[in-house]
Amino acid sequence: MSLAIATRIARRELRGGIGAFRIFIACLALGVAAIAAVGTVRASIEAGLQREGAALLGGDAEMEFTYRFASEEERAWMAGVAKETSEIVDFRSMAVVDRDGATERGLTQVKSVDDAYPLKGSVVLDPPMALPKALDGESGLPGGIMQRVLVDRLGLSIGDRFRLGTQDFVLMALIELEPDGAADGFGLGPRTMVRTADLADSGLLEPGTLFETQYRLALPEGTDLAALQREALSQFRDQGLRWRDSRNGAPGVQQFVQRMGAFLVLVGLAGLAVGGVGVSAAVRAYLNGKTAVIATLKTLGADRTTIFLTYLIQIGILAVISVALGLVFGAALPLIFAPLIEARLPVPAVIGVQAGPLAEAALYGLLTAFLFALWPVAKTEEIRAAALFRDAFGTVRSLPRPRYLIATALLLAALIGISAYLSGIPTLALWTAAGIVGALFVLILAAQAAMRLARRGAKARAVRGNPPLRLALGAIGGPREEATSVVLSLGLGLTVLAAVGQIDTNLRGAISGELPDVAPSYFFVDIQPDQLDGFMSRLDEDEAVSRVETAPMLRGIITGINGRPAREVAGDHWVLNGDRGVTYSARPTENTTITQGDWWPEDYAGLPQVSFAAEEAAEMGLKLGDEITINILGRDITAEVTSFRVVDFSTAGIGFILSMNPAALAGAPHTHIATVYAEEDAEAAILRDLASAYPNITAIRVRDAIDQVANVLAGLAAATSYAAGATLLTGFVVLIGAAAAGERTRVYEAAVLKTLGATRRQILTSFALRSALLGAAAGLVAIAAGAIAGWGVMTYVMDTGYSIAWGPALGIVLGGVLATLAAGLLFAWRPLAARPAQILRARE
Amino acid sequence: MSDPVLSLSEARLTLSGNAGPVEILRGITLDVTRGETLGLVGPSGSGKSTLLMLMGGLERATSGQVLALGQDLTALDEDALARFRRDHMGVVFQSFHLIPTMTALENVATPLELAGIDDAFERARAELETVGLGHRIDHYPAQMSGGEQQRVALARAAAPRPEILLADEPTGNLDGANGEAIMELLFGLRDRHGATLVLVTHATDLAHRCDRVIRLRDGLIDDDGALRAAQ
Repeated sequence: MSLAIATRIARRELRGGIGAFRIFIACLALGVAAIAAVGTVRASIEAGLQREGAALLGGDAEMEFTYRFASEEERAWMAGVAKETSEIVDFRSMAVVDRDGATERGLTQVKSVDDAYPLKGSVVLDPPMALPKALDGESGLPGGIMQRVLVDRLGLSIGDRFRLGTQDFVLMALIELEPDGAADGFGLGPRTMVRTADLADSGLLEPGTLFETQYRLALPEGTDLAALQREALSQFRDQGLRWRDSRNGAPGVQQFVQRMGAFLVLVGLAGLAVGGVGVSAAVRAYLNGKTAVIATLKTLGADRTTIFLTYLIQIGILAVISVALGLVFGAALPLIFAPLIEARLPVPAVIGVQAGPLAEAALYGLLTAFLFALWPVAKTEEIRAAALFRDAFGTVRSLPRPRYLIATALLLAALIGISAYLSGIPTLALWTAAGIVGALFVLILAAQAAMRLARRGAKARAVRGNPPLRLALGAIGGPREEATSVVLSLGLGLTVLAAVGQIDTNLRGAISGELPDVAPSYFFVDIQPDQLDGFMSRLDEDEAVSRVETAPMLRGIITGINGRPAREVAGDHWVLNGDRGVTYSARPTENTTITQGDWWPEDYAGLPQVSFAAEEAAEMGLKLGDEITINILGRDITAEVTSFRVVDFSTAGIGFILSMNPAALAGAPHTHIATVYAEEDAEAAILRDLASAYPNITAIRVRDAIDQVANVLAGLAAATSYAAGATLLTGFVVLIGAAAAGERTRVYEAAVLKTLGATRRQILTSFALRSALLGAAAGLVAIAAGAIAGWGVMTYVMDTGYSIAWGPALGIVLGGVLATLAAGLLFAWRPLAARPAQILRARE
Repeated sequence: MSDPVLSLSEARLTLSGNAGPVEILRGITLDVTRGETLGLVGPSGSGKSTLLMLMGGLERATSGQVLALGQDLTALDEDALARFRRDHMGVVFQSFHLIPTMTALENVATPLELAGIDDAFERARAELETVGLGHRIDHYPAQMSGGEQQRVALARAAAPRPEILLADEPTGNLDGANGEAIMELLFGLRDRHGATLVLVTHATDLAHRCDRVIRLRDGLIDDDGALRAAQ
């Protein structure tokens, strides 16, 4: 009965139009649109990855080995299951160009292929030509192709010569599209592609050199990939096999897209929370204006439930309209920008309307609307018929009835639970939710504190005689809700931005600021044992070189711990993922700190022993006396853990998880790596001399590597900033809403003040001060919350130090002040222009 | 006879409404002398409140002249008018028009602060005690009854010691007892500070207490000194 009447009354109430709900609609629609757009792009990329899985991978499946070619047994297995196979070798090297007596060098990621490559898709070249023709070369030299960035760096033209190791090639074309490029993951240099057969005399693929081989398989139609994967792993996993197939052609990219998308949706949820504050304020303002209507309805016999339902139905209808609008925008934006987005993505994306993300955004929007509107709507129950005769609504301060508190808690739990489930990263989602709820709570406290301070301030002797300031303080501290609404909406938006700013600045600082001071200039890899003496003597003679560290290096996979498969014992620890560097040493190197156990004697030749990195050992649950089995070049070596030592990766120096006694690795082919600490001015000469003398050695400039990591981080920070920007935009809409809602009050205040003798300048100053003070309060809280978030992330996630970044922090306060000023002054014109007599008489 | 404190000459006010221009005041000429108590009476819509607004510079005459303390109010801009009121006038309204975000004390202190008076708050407190609200100084308007709000409004108008006190139906929104109390206070303040008082009222007994009463009808003075003549 109540519902039918409530529906009828709600319909009549909404007949007057929904103009009063512009802010409500804008807040909710913006939040929903942002989440829908991010979700749509994420789902589109995932759809693209799914569809193009085989092409991205360059085959239906791939078997990858580190440091070696496939064994006869492995090749036989592949030939048995595949219609066709293709072998690819991937390694870092230096591309060298001699020109006019000078030599240019550039780090490159070499991909050497066979004639079957690529099994799927095709390589697009500039000038257009077939890949075999390009790799055939000309004038008796084999051909090579390169990415444009490397060609530009080396100053090459088509037809020029370049060298890899000791082998010359002729540059035949530029790589425009490498079909399996996205699946390759992180490379330190741009791509060069040649034929594997042409590297036979290059000296680059010697035993002990760091390279990976990938065997792409074209499988018969209908092959059960999961079953094949199980079979391959059961046979070859302990020999270092890594498996990928077209079900997930670019797992790194897919995981990145999934994580990034989920993270941005979480930031979007913060935006929705800001929108919720606007929704709450808009509903409150609307219901304040309805006091007389509600009191009249009660006079006429409407019970509390009818009143509650009447307004809940209205809010429901408006929420549906807002969410629908948000979905339209959220779906349309990626479509409109599809060409731009697709062009900038390194992976195929099928931008289109994606039902899943839209449904997710709609669900978040509706839950948020009801979560934030329920409380004010529940308060309509408390309006008594007597409100017709006096202003009773403004003095109601008590909580709504328990059933509404429980409903609010359930809505909140549903919102958090669903976002945690759908994001796929529940821990981060829960932390984010806790952060948003915590920030809202702190902001409510801050708003109350600001109001209390303002009330006190307005009474302070210091502000007496300064009417604009006292009026501003009085208005902030007065019995109205503008302060709470402004501090909440702007504060939350600024908090997200402040947190991003703090984390970004600290991360960049950690990577590009502090590290190079202690980091080496170069890493040299693939130094053959017989080259080490010559290599060292060149560096020893150089006064600009302050330190050189070298270590023999092999690569191995930990396959067993105490006779059991390693993964059973230590789970998914990163040390067990793929191969690790292994070194050997008769005695502890300088600076080694042994935390537990003893190093083996210098001439020790007994059963193999290993010294393990202390922190990682503790994480994996290893203790002294444990036996670990390491597969090196297909041979299992079981060694006893006899000591733990500190390994610090943060200095970018040489750090090995595993160090063994020399006899344990005797006879195993290996190379050396070296780190060289030198003055920056001397770096070029060192590189020139060493690279000329030892063409097979690859030098990695640490500064370049750091720059590359910093660029990736900058991209992440930019994407997050855009999402935070959407949050701030919603916050600004809420501000506009608050300013618009307060306009009538300000018009009236201005009229009274003019009557009392205040000039327009004084009134404007007061309005500006009011806005600026509120903005500054929101900004200060945002800095504190952002700093706490930044400290938490840097300390617990990044495991590094944190110091407050004052630049972005002050920017946040300034931004807060400017935003509130802009919103406040936008609505100051009418109060200033209005004639007092008209305003005051209208109130008589 | 001393110089008039307020002097209107052929003052007219025409407002433009949806249905075309409406002549509210159609040529008012009158002088109010220093210390005089003038009552403005007349039926609703006769223009008495508008005339009071004109005298306070809250409304601008369409034509004619409005002099207050020798200053032509029609020649002043918005801010100059505000400063003039600050220095010379106090206004009391039927609906009190207190600033809702300020306590009673702050409401009363505001015009004193705007006038740059150092002990604004001490004077405001004393003024509130005078109107019997010494115990309500920290209350907001919404926390007070109508009678109390009007007493705050009176204190606010009287605190700067204005030479001219304008009151627009100050008891119109109050019951008999409260209205009586406000009337006592209003005339008490006027006697104490010696201000010129112009009062718009429907209440005959309130009009009876004025030195002079002007009756308005249709925007014109219908009878100047009507009640005094009757006395």
